[in-house]
Amino acid sequence: MLEWIYRGLSKRRITTRYPRGSEPAPAGFRGRINVAETEDVAPVIAEVCPTGAITVDAEGRVALDRGRCILCGECVRAAPEVFAFASDYETAERSAAGLVVGPEAERTSPEALRKALGEQAAMLRRSIHVRHIDCGSDGSEEWEIQALWNPYYDIQRLGFFLTNSPRHADVLLVTGPVTAPMRAPLQRTWEVMPEPKALVAVGTDACGGGLHSWGGVDQVLPVDVYVPGSPPAPIAIMDGLLLAVGLLKPDGELAA
Amino acid sequence: MSTARRVPDTAQYLPERLTFRLEPGPDDEVRLVVAAADFGDAVRELRQAGARFITLFLAEIPKLALTAAFALYGELVLLQAPAGESGVIAYSEMGEWWPATAWAERELLERDPRISGAHRNDQPQLTHPDADRIEHAVTGLDVFAIPYGPVRSGVFEAIQFLIETGGEDVPRLHTRPFFKHRGIESRFVGLTPDVAVHVAERVAGIAANAYGCAFSHAVERALGVEPPRQAQRWRAIYCELERMACHLDVIAKEAETTALYVGQARFQILKERVQRLRARLTGSRFGRGVVVPGGVRFEGRVSAEELRGEIDAIERDLRRDQRLFLGTTSMTDRLIGGGRLERALIEEHCAVGPLARGSGISTDARHERPYDDYRRLGLRVATRREGDAMARINVRFAELSESLRLIRQVVGHLGRGDGNLSTPLPRWGSGTACGWAEAPQGELLFWVEIRDGLIHRVHIASPSLRNWALFDHAFPKDVLTDFAFIEHSFGLTPAGADR
Repeated sequence: MLEWIYRGLSKRRITTRYPRGSEPAPAGFRGRINVAETEDVAPVIAEVCPTGAITVDAEGRVALDRGRCILCGECVRAAPEVFAFASDYETAERSAAGLVVGPEAERTSPEALRKALGEQAAMLRRSIHVRHIDCGSDGSEEWEIQALWNPYYDIQRLGFFLTNSPRHADVLLVTGPVTAPMRAPLQRTWEVMPEPKALVAVGTDACGGGLHSWGGVDQVLPVDVYVPGSPPAPIAIMDGLLLAVGLLKPDGELAA
Repeated sequence: MSTARRVPDTAQYLPERLTFRLEPGPDDEVRLVVAAADFGDAVRELRQAGARFITLFLAEIPKLALTAAFALYGELVLLQAPAGESGVIAYSEMGEWWPATAWAERELLERDPRISGAHRNDQPQLTHPDADRIEHAVTGLDVFAIPYGPVRSGVFEAIQFLIETGGEDVPRLHTRPFFKHRGIESRFVGLTPDVAVHVAERVAGIAANAYGCAFSHAVERALGVEPPRQAQRWRAIYCELERMACHLDVIAKEAETTALYVGQARFQILKERVQRLRARLTGSRFGRGVVVPGGVRFEGRVSAEELRGEIDAIERDLRRDQRLFLGTTSMTDRLIGGGRLERALIEEHCAVGPLARGSGISTDARHERPYDDYRRLGLRVATRREGDAMARINVRFAELSESLRLIRQVVGHLGRGDGNLSTPLPRWGSGTACGWAEAPQGELLFWVEIRDGLIHRVHIASPSLRNWALFDHAFPKDVLTDFAFIEHSFGLTPAGADR
C-alpha cells in the first residue's frame, strides 16, 4: 500500500487549470463545425449531411444545427469553403437556438442565469452534486463524463461531486436521445430531485437527437444547458456544468 | 469478385449426413442452404460438429432467408433457409436446447413479423423491457428481488439486473438489456457505405474503431475490394489503441470498486493518455472519422518517432502500475475465485472475447480469421484457465502488453510500399457479405447487404449481447457484494448489445 502512495506522490501535477487557465485542444481536434459567411450557396449542400443538420435559406445562406451535427465532416469534405472544423472545447449553449450556427442565426442571448443555484453554490462553497442518467447514448459520453473525475480534469477541485441518489442531486446530466423504455425512469429521476435543479443534455444525441429523428431530451423535459458533440470532450462537459450552476458568467469569466 | 474463390477447409468438417447445398459467396465464407423445415436439424448437426453460434437474422438479398452464422473451427459458416411463397418463415425455437441462441431468437421473434414461431404472440419481454415489472422465480422465506437499474449508481450505461437474494447469496440473477435500443441498424439503410460508416462508429461508441472496421470489412468483401497496405496498418494501430483504452477502463473500475484510489487514478491516467494520443492521431478522442470502406481517410497526424516515444512511455508506466496492482492483495483477493465461469458453460453459451479467453478458450477473430494487418502480425492469444474475475483481468493485462507490441511492430512497417490510403469502391456495386473484427469486448460480426451502391440492410452481432447472457450464471458461489467486481470484469457495453 505504501508503494502506491509513493507512486501517487512521485508524479508532477497533471491537472488542468481550467477554467482559471485556458486548456487548448490539440491541433486538428474536431470540436465543432463553423459556418463561413457566404451567400448563394446551392441548397443541394444540405443533402450531404447524413443527419439533416444543415439548412439553406432562400438567399443561399447556410445554417448548421449542432443539436443534429455528429461531427462526421461530410460537409467539410464536400464544401471546405463553407464549413470548417474548429478545435474548440467550449461548445456548451444555454438554449436550443444557440446551437444553430450560421451567419443568419441569432447569437445566443444569455437568458437569466439560474441565480438560485448559483447562490446556493456559493453558500455551500460550491458543493454541487451531480447525477447522471443514460437514456440511450452510444456509451462514449459516459466515458467522457467519468473522465471529469480523473486526475487530468479533477472536477472535484471545483466542488462537483457525483451522487448516487437523485434526491441529493443539484444537476442532472442526461445522455442519449431518450429511448422509449427510458422515458419514465428519466421523468421520475427528474421529479424526485429537489429544487433548485438544472438539467444538462450531454452529447449531440441528447441535444437534438443527432442520428435519431425523434429529437432530444427537450422533447421530454426542459433542458438548461446543451453540450453538443459526438461525444463532447471532458472540458466541454465541465464548461456545461459550470454554465449550469451559474459559476461562469456568460462572457466566459469566472464568477467570484 | 475474384475468380479463384477460396473455399475454406471447413467444408471438410461439415457433417456428411445432411445434404447441404453450397451457395456462392465471398472468400472465407461458407454458405449453406437448407429447407426451412430442416433448419433446426441442421443447426443441431452443426453444433455437434463443434460450431460456435454467432447470430440469427433475416437476410433479404438475394432472397428472404432465415440465416444463422456460426464459427466452425474458426471459419465462418452461414446457414440459410429461404422463405416460401407466403414470405413467412416457420420457426421452431432452439433456445431450449442451445442457450446461446436464446436471446438472438427472442429478438427475431419479437421484432420481425416475417417469422412465425410458437411464442410469436407473446408479450414482447426481452426487447421491450419494463423497469417496474418484477417477476419472482425463487420462492422462499426472506428472498427478495432487487431491480438494479436502469438508472445506475455512478456514471454507467442503462441496463437492468433483477437480483433475487436473501441478503448474501444470489440464487438468481436476471439481466435485462434493450433499455437503450435505438434501432440503429435501420439507420444504415439508404446511405452510401462511406457515410454509413459514421453510423457504424456510433453503435457502441467506446469500440468505434472495431465497429467501423467490421462494417468496412463487410462492405469491402461484398464488393470485392482490398484496402491498401498502409490503410490496413493504420486500422490495426487504431484498433489496438482502442483495445488498450477499454482494458485500462475495466482495470481502473476494478480498482475503484476496492477503493484502491491511487491505483484507480494511475490507470485512469494511462487511459486518458491513450485517449489523448488517439485525439492527436485522428482528431477524435475515440478515433472516429478515419476508417472508411476501402481504406482510411488520412494518415495519423503524429510522426512514427513520436508515436513510438509515447508508446514506450505508456509501457514504462503500465509495467510499474501493473506490478503494484497485481501485488496488492486487498485488490486481488476480491478478484480471485470471483464470478467463476466453467469452460463448459462458456462453450454452451458461445461467449467470446476476454470472457472466453479467461476460461481457457482461445477464440480471437484476429487469429481465427485474420483481417487487415493482422494477417502479417504474429498475434499471441492470451488465455487463462481459471475462469474467474482475476483470470479475465490477467487476460486484459496480457492483451495490453500484446497491443503495445503489435503497435510497435506496425509502426515499424509504416510508410513501406506506395502511400496509397484507400481503394475506390465500385460506384453502383451490389453484394452481400459478413465482416468481422475483434472488438475489445469480443468478436463482432456485421452482415451487410448492398444494392446499387447503397446499403440495403445491416445486421450486427455484438459481443456484448452474446456475453451478457452469461452474467446470469456468474454468481455460483458469490455474494451480493461481489456484484460490481464481476460486472466490471465482464467489461461489456449496453450500447453495443441494445443497438
